[in-house]
Amino acid sequence: MILKHLIMRNQNNLWRLTCSILIIIGTAGACFGQNSILQNTHIRGFMEVDASYQNNKVAFGFGEQDLFITSQLNDRFSFLGESVFKYTPNSPTEFSVSIERAIVKYNYFGNNNLLLGKQHTPINFWNDTYHHGRVFFPTIERPLLFPANFIPLHTTGIAAEGHDLGKIRFGYNLLIGNGIDSNDIANNNKRVSITSAIYIKPVDNLKLGVSYYNDKISPGITEQGNSVKWPVYQQLFTGSISYFGKKFELLTEGTLALDKTDTTGTQRNWASYIYAGYRITDKFVPYVRLDNLQYASGEIYYKKNNTSAFLVGMRYYVDYLLVLKMEYQHLDTHISGKTYLVTFQIALGF
Amino acid sequence: MNMRANRKFQTVKNILAGILFTLCCLSVKAQQDTSLIVIGNTTGVPADIKMNELKAVFRGEKQRWKDGTKVVIAMIKTTTPLGNTISEKIYSMNGDEVRGFWAGISFAGKFDPPNVFNTEAEVEVFVSQNPGAIAILNKTILTSDVKTILVSGKKTL
Repeated sequence: MILKHLIMRNQNNLWRLTCSILIIIGTAGACFGQNSILQNTHIRGFMEVDASYQNNKVAFGFGEQDLFITSQLNDRFSFLGESVFKYTPNSPTEFSVSIERAIVKYNYFGNNNLLLGKQHTPINFWNDTYHHGRVFFPTIERPLLFPANFIPLHTTGIAAEGHDLGKIRFGYNLLIGNGIDSNDIANNNKRVSITSAIYIKPVDNLKLGVSYYNDKISPGITEQGNSVKWPVYQQLFTGSISYFGKKFELLTEGTLALDKTDTTGTQRNWASYIYAGYRITDKFVPYVRLDNLQYASGEIYYKKNNTSAFLVGMRYYVDYLLVLKMEYQHLDTHISGKTYLVTFQIALGF
Repeated sequence: MNMRANRKFQTVKNILAGILFTLCCLSVKAQQDTSLIVIGNTTGVPADIKMNELKAVFRGEKQRWKDGTKVVIAMIKTTTPLGNTISEKIYSMNGDEVRGFWAGISFAGKFDPPNVFNTEAEVEVFVSQNPGAIAILNKTILTSDVKTILVSGKKTL
């Protein structure tokens, strides 16, 4: 009981300390604008409010409140930080703060940079572009391969990246970091994860990319809800096509996961989605998205919840940082069967 | 007979007025387009730049100039008529879309958003004081603190 009380007190203190640090950073950010004699620091934020209807029930809620800080430390070094405040039922305050990105960037030559810290794994277009700013999402929520933890969203490590090189605007990213189920301060096994990605932008608004991810998943981890009994050697192959033109929008990505164990051999799992939208006016975009998750019968790492889903929705831009979206989604999952969901969202940036 | 002549005269007058109005509009638009010039700081920014390179710079696709100086973009606010003209010319977007475009790039951590100002004079002062700074303005009289950049060999966009 005393121990529980102490833990709760410590968590409360941690919460207050974090809030204080963020307020100080925020104040500093506001003060140290471009006219300051100190470095340029900018602070921005994003949040969303949702309403949903499912199983004859209406529910309201707000999602993540995202604090985004960038600071140009000097001519070559810069910092990017992203902290998210979100509802967490098992926290004493029912809220928690998480560091989603904390990156020190060194621009060593032209469009080539070295990055150190916690970053969004550059495994696909969505994860490398939209991050936590739902105002930028083309749909209300991420594709279903994200909540299914099909790909590693974050990696803490070191990366070399380049962008918009040459006429075809070639880009690359090589990230070495802590693997799946590691924490932000240590790797959970001796093997580092490796992410390599390349892309080209042959014409304006079109981006084609592929990536490869390699890691060893240690026994005992419960990332997917199941406890893995044997080491799993995972390889992820991803392909992405994105086109966001004046009228037509298309984004499709697919990931093939090869999970190998000595006992089960190599299991092939597949996750993909396709999004398409058409801009009727400057402010109004109706869209559709199809999601598909298929797991091998002998898979032991992922939770085998074969899913197919489609959604139709519309997006309305009140302003460039204030977007309304409304969607109807129909899901067919192995675990829950057929369900539907109607969602309305106001997403904003500030 | 007299009434028919009057009606004809009225019609011709309306057509002429219409042509005159159209010419005026075209002239104003042409003036807006042709008087756009690119200015740069005396350090880093090249004296001549190709149009597609200029667009790449203003789209955040170039972090450094050839001599290694950091690219710094200065812009007049996109809510102003000039800002909107530049948005159309460089980004093929309206001012609001350009702000959204930069919010996305900045949030992805790819590039710092442009420094924006209310007046052309402020833009010019900023460009003159920051190595690698580049901007698009709508005037031809400049101080000697900044240089005019030729775009594909031309003085105006």
